[in-house]
Amino acid sequence: MERTQEFVPKPATPPVSAAEAAAAPAPAAQRNAFEIAELSVWYGQKRAVQDLTLNIPERTITAIIGPSGCGKSTMLRCLNRMHELVPRSRMTGSIRFFGEDLYASRIDPAVVRRRIGMVFQKSNPFPTMSIAENVTVGLRLNGITNRAYLRARMEESLRMAALWDEVKDDLGKPGVSLSGGQQQRLCIARAIAPKPEVLLMDEPASALDPIATMKVEELIQQLSRDYTIVIVTHNMQQASRVSNKAAFLYLGRLIEYSNTDQLFTRPREKQTEDYISGRFG
Amino acid sequence: MAEINRHILGSYDAAISGLQNDLLMMASLCERNLRNSLGCLLNRDEDLCNVTIADDEEIDQLEKQMDKNGIDLLRRFQPVASDLRHVVAAMKLSSNLERIADQAVNIARKARKLNRAPLLPEVNFLDPMYREVTLMLSDVLRGYTESNIDLAISIPARDKKLDAMSHEITEILTVQMVKFPERITEYLDLIFIARHLERAGDHVKNIAEDVVYAIAAEDIRHMGDQRPGSAADLLGERAGEGLGLPVSDTLPS
Repeated sequence: MERTQEFVPKPATPPVSAAEAAAAPAPAAQRNAFEIAELSVWYGQKRAVQDLTLNIPERTITAIIGPSGCGKSTMLRCLNRMHELVPRSRMTGSIRFFGEDLYASRIDPAVVRRRIGMVFQKSNPFPTMSIAENVTVGLRLNGITNRAYLRARMEESLRMAALWDEVKDDLGKPGVSLSGGQQQRLCIARAIAPKPEVLLMDEPASALDPIATMKVEELIQQLSRDYTIVIVTHNMQQASRVSNKAAFLYLGRLIEYSNTDQLFTRPREKQTEDYISGRFG
Repeated sequence: MAEINRHILGSYDAAISGLQNDLLMMASLCERNLRNSLGCLLNRDEDLCNVTIADDEEIDQLEKQMDKNGIDLLRRFQPVASDLRHVVAAMKLSSNLERIADQAVNIARKARKLNRAPLLPEVNFLDPMYREVTLMLSDVLRGYTESNIDLAISIPARDKKLDAMSHEITEILTVQMVKFPERITEYLDLIFIARHLERAGDHVKNIAEDVVYAIAAEDIRHMGDQRPGSAADLLGERAGEGLGLPVSDTLPS
């Protein structure tokens, strides 16, 4: 079966001129970037996620919280089919990305991962590549060779990642020569360079100092204007600060999913209350 | 207070219970001062007036201590959910309690002045207001300690009744001022005392609103006629879900 590159309609480009803006129809209601239904994931005999159902709206920041081993990262990896890379893993249920079945046989996982980028807990710039090469590697792997475009996209991504001013004179230096916080922002620049619609972030600031953490959080807020962001974090204050919606997972199950302000001031479930207020375990 | 699950951090539990203990201490001193201010007036007890005025200092110090401890707690533990609501409510409660105690001092000062003049029989008109405001205060504090939303939610309507009583007493005393102009100063002092009691009632109402927020996470301020009359009105299907500080029996130990 032929696999498609464009399995999901891209969001409409906003009108640019005032006349076009006036003539444009009213903005459509917010769509769901993901519709997850009865998702279960196994690693061998172990069931890591159980019957998880939730919708993630586009252009919001959704935080996934819960104790270690509750299935947060597994759920996140299911959203761009990264969990398929783990031996003996299997999945039931469905995930729709802007209405399209993410796991349909005609969908190419590589395209999924281009459209749904990921940032990991530990910064992982490619050690043999320069700062500039690290940012453009995704584009080049996708067959883009136009130097001017690559250069422009590299600068744009580094600016969006709030790193340009710090590295613009050292673009040829190895990515691993940067500090930990800079490396993580480099990885974010690398993730956004191919213009994904979604960024999945697995504890992106857990290894950073407070200043670097704030920079990453500020960046997440900025990016949420254009991107759908799903972030896994162990830091309750971070989840409370940066996210619009929050989901609490425990033992692979979704315990509560609501607007972040509600979850952190008046959670519906006692298990959520106990976890976020440190009465758990 | 409803039984609560312990925090993993023992010092967090200690900080919260320290704040609650200070608040309860402050509340009991405030209740005592308000009660004493009634004795100042009805028993014409000058010593009690002086004691009531002097005791306010302890309440002022407790308010400052509560603010400091509350800020320390926010800084150290960054509470969320019911912990956050209770810490914020405790700090707001302490501020209102301090202002109720200030009203008691104002009453004691007026009483000390009135006691130096011949007795006015109309002093007894204030007794029902006193009884109502002290009962409102003890009920709202019971509502807080027992997580009883119904008790707290009953307070705003009772505050309206208190306002009506103050208005009625003012009208009566105004008539008396016309009849007995030589006692106009004393009648004015009685009107001021009614006003102080009414203001104390307003603070009790503020406390009730904060107590409802702390327990049920619902804001009932500035709702006018839409204000709920009971926990069932307020919470609908959530009523009876065992609100209050969280108790979980579903988590593993």
